[in-house]
Amino acid sequence: MSVLLNPGIWQEEAVTPPDTETKVIIATNEATDALGNATEVATHSKAWILGNEATIERVKEQGGKPWLLHVLRSEEPYEIPGLRVIPYSLKRDDPETGEPMENLGLYLELGKMRVAYLGDSKVRGPFGQFEVDIVIVPIGGDGVFPIKDAVGLCIDAKPKLGIPMRWVSNDQPKKFAKYLDQFAQGVSPLVMEEDQTVETHWAAGNEFRYELS
Amino acid sequence: MNNHKTIVIDLEENEKCRTGQFNELEKSEVSSVLSVKNVSETNRIWNVRVLLADSTGGTDIEEEELIAGEIDAGSQWEHNYAVDIEAPLLVVREVFDTCSEVDTEDPHWAYAFGRANPVEIVLIVKNNSNGVIDNIIVNKTMPEELSQVMVQVSEKGSAEYDEGTKQVFWKDVQVNPGEEARLSITAVGEVEDSEMKSAGELVVSYRAEGQQRSSLDPDMTGLTEFLTGIETAETEPNCWEVTLECSNESDLMVRLDKAQIFLHPEEGGEKQLKVDEKPSFEMEPGQEWTTSFEVKSKSPPKCTQEVVYTPMRVIKKRVLGKIVKEPQPIPVYEIKYTKTFDPPEVSSFDKTPIEVNIDIENVGSASINEIVVEDHLPEDVMPPKKEHVTIWIAGEEYNGPFDLQMEPDNQDPETPHKLTFTIGGLKEIVGELEPGKSVRINYAVMAWKSRPEKEYPSPIHITANIVPPGHATEISSEEGKHEIGVVYKKRRISAKKAINKGAGAGEYSVLLVVENRGEVTVENVKVTDWIPSGFEFVSVEPPEEEPTLSQVEDGTNISWLWTRMNPGDKKKLRVNVRGEGEYERREPKVVSD
Repeated sequence: MSVLLNPGIWQEEAVTPPDTETKVIIATNEATDALGNATEVATHSKAWILGNEATIERVKEQGGKPWLLHVLRSEEPYEIPGLRVIPYSLKRDDPETGEPMENLGLYLELGKMRVAYLGDSKVRGPFGQFEVDIVIVPIGGDGVFPIKDAVGLCIDAKPKLGIPMRWVSNDQPKKFAKYLDQFAQGVSPLVMEEDQTVETHWAAGNEFRYELS
Repeated sequence: MNNHKTIVIDLEENEKCRTGQFNELEKSEVSSVLSVKNVSETNRIWNVRVLLADSTGGTDIEEEELIAGEIDAGSQWEHNYAVDIEAPLLVVREVFDTCSEVDTEDPHWAYAFGRANPVEIVLIVKNNSNGVIDNIIVNKTMPEELSQVMVQVSEKGSAEYDEGTKQVFWKDVQVNPGEEARLSITAVGEVEDSEMKSAGELVVSYRAEGQQRSSLDPDMTGLTEFLTGIETAETEPNCWEVTLECSNESDLMVRLDKAQIFLHPEEGGEKQLKVDEKPSFEMEPGQEWTTSFEVKSKSPPKCTQEVVYTPMRVIKKRVLGKIVKEPQPIPVYEIKYTKTFDPPEVSSFDKTPIEVNIDIENVGSASINEIVVEDHLPEDVMPPKKEHVTIWIAGEEYNGPFDLQMEPDNQDPETPHKLTFTIGGLKEIVGELEPGKSVRINYAVMAWKSRPEKEYPSPIHITANIVPPGHATEISSEEGKHEIGVVYKKRRISAKKAINKGAGAGEYSVLLVVENRGEVTVENVKVTDWIPSGFEFVSVEPPEEEPTLSQVEDGTNISWLWTRMNPGDKKKLRVNVRGEGEYERREPKVVSD
């Protein structure tokens, strides 16, 4: 199962190549930095696009195929073989107006692996109480989580891995990693560089392991 | 030797030396005067020659014989010369210790700013010659920043301090060959700024009577008023006694070195040496000396004489010395610091990482070997781990050893902590921290649910020291200088409730909406609702929000506990109940930290 999350456009450049092969694309909100070129990728790979109503409406405007779209509603699980998603309605600031807008936080189950993906969230919602193995969290501030809230979430959720995303300066992931290492007992920070992949699995059913390319 | 006058050959050799700031010999030179002093009151001497033979090595005298010529009574003739030397006869050493209260192998060399420095100055003079050196006079200038000057009793000579001129005089010192004399001076040093200070000049003069730096071994010849003559007296017919008579007509002692009488035969031919004496006779003024021989001759014999004499001389010699020691520079060690929190203030009731930066600048004139920082963290702050402390020295990240002691040694945010950073041994590791350079300590703490009604002072105390270590200079934060600011964020939690009829008889669906509408995260949010008697809990949506039920007198309390609600977080619960009777409404209760 391959799931593409928030294939955003940053600085007018698509982060994800349009010929990326995937089964499912989930955008946590309709802003360009989240939705990005999801419609183009989905068209190429015939992938499902999942998102809240506003996101799906935006995809339709972009010419997305209606039969490949699915609206996610807060706290309603979506399940296909190999993937279970529970979205939660969170908030972010609209990058254009600065007004609050909905952003979905995603609780994902991929096999035995439980992942919390906060998207572009500015609030944590119930994610601090979930038992998850991996937290993927924005740290850049300015409408999304600043470092301190990302660290605070990891302290409370106690995942095995804390993966930062959406930073705007190179010292932010370093600080995130430093703070997790220092203040979040049992949480390993993992700062991923461009084109890196991480493989995670449960060894012998109860030992969490990961390998970074 | 009698008490009559003798010519004086005088060697006065002046050695002048300059030593550097740390007693190293920088320059030594000897300028000397060889003089012939005619001590006669009435008689001149002439044809004076000073004989040096092969003793001129090490001097700039190239001749083996110096022509002094004529010297009037009471006058003298002089010749200047220089001598090469490697070291003076007297070795002078000054030990300036800025912290005599701390025993170390090497003396302390800098003042600690802001402290009363217990200074001890030890002056040492050592006789490296084979003779006695006396008349040693030591003159030490005491720096302005020294007070309470006490001159300790010296075993040799006498010493005193003149407050007016700020001079220590140590005089009448005499040192035997190979021995040394010491004088200890104590004082208190206090500096008002960190500019380089001076230890004060040291000047030593001395006299080594009977000693010389050159190897000159002078002698002399000369003439003065001296009568010689031959008397021939017939003792029997044709039998003559020939007498050579010499008389010292001067008031000087004269030594008669040679007396010869030659007889010139009547019949001609070569003269005959009849008397040949080398009497080395020391003749006092007016004293005569004679010698004679007998000869047979029909006529008075014809004789001539050859007499060699010279005014007697004594050699006097001495070395006069002067050593000037360049003042030792005494730097000052002083530090200043800044301490910042980033961010400087945190939201109340939140968990916020704070970067702590402590910059310590060497604002003195001495290089620093050790810095100790005592930083105090208030309660509600989680301290750092040692491995997350970063240190820069002079702009370069420092990866050398340092010590971090934490009291108590845990990361419990509920108790205050004292962190003690010791960055020492810099000289051996990366070199001392030079003036103008800085040390930066960076670490992160976590503000842990700071409360708006509390204050979070974080005072700091820093010391710095040199090597060898003396009294440290120190600096402390002013009261209230460093506080972690807490921004009060209002807590606002709303709880709304709606009671709706359910699908079946006696069934109700109670909707509870709990929302954090405040500006800050709240923790341990407990929501309690009430189910009246006659009704019972059936289910809740979402099902994972399983409530805690507890029976009370008039019904059932139903409650939820959430560890944290961020601003904007909302909980929507639908509670299904079933029973009989009227469903009375009571408002849900919300409490939180």
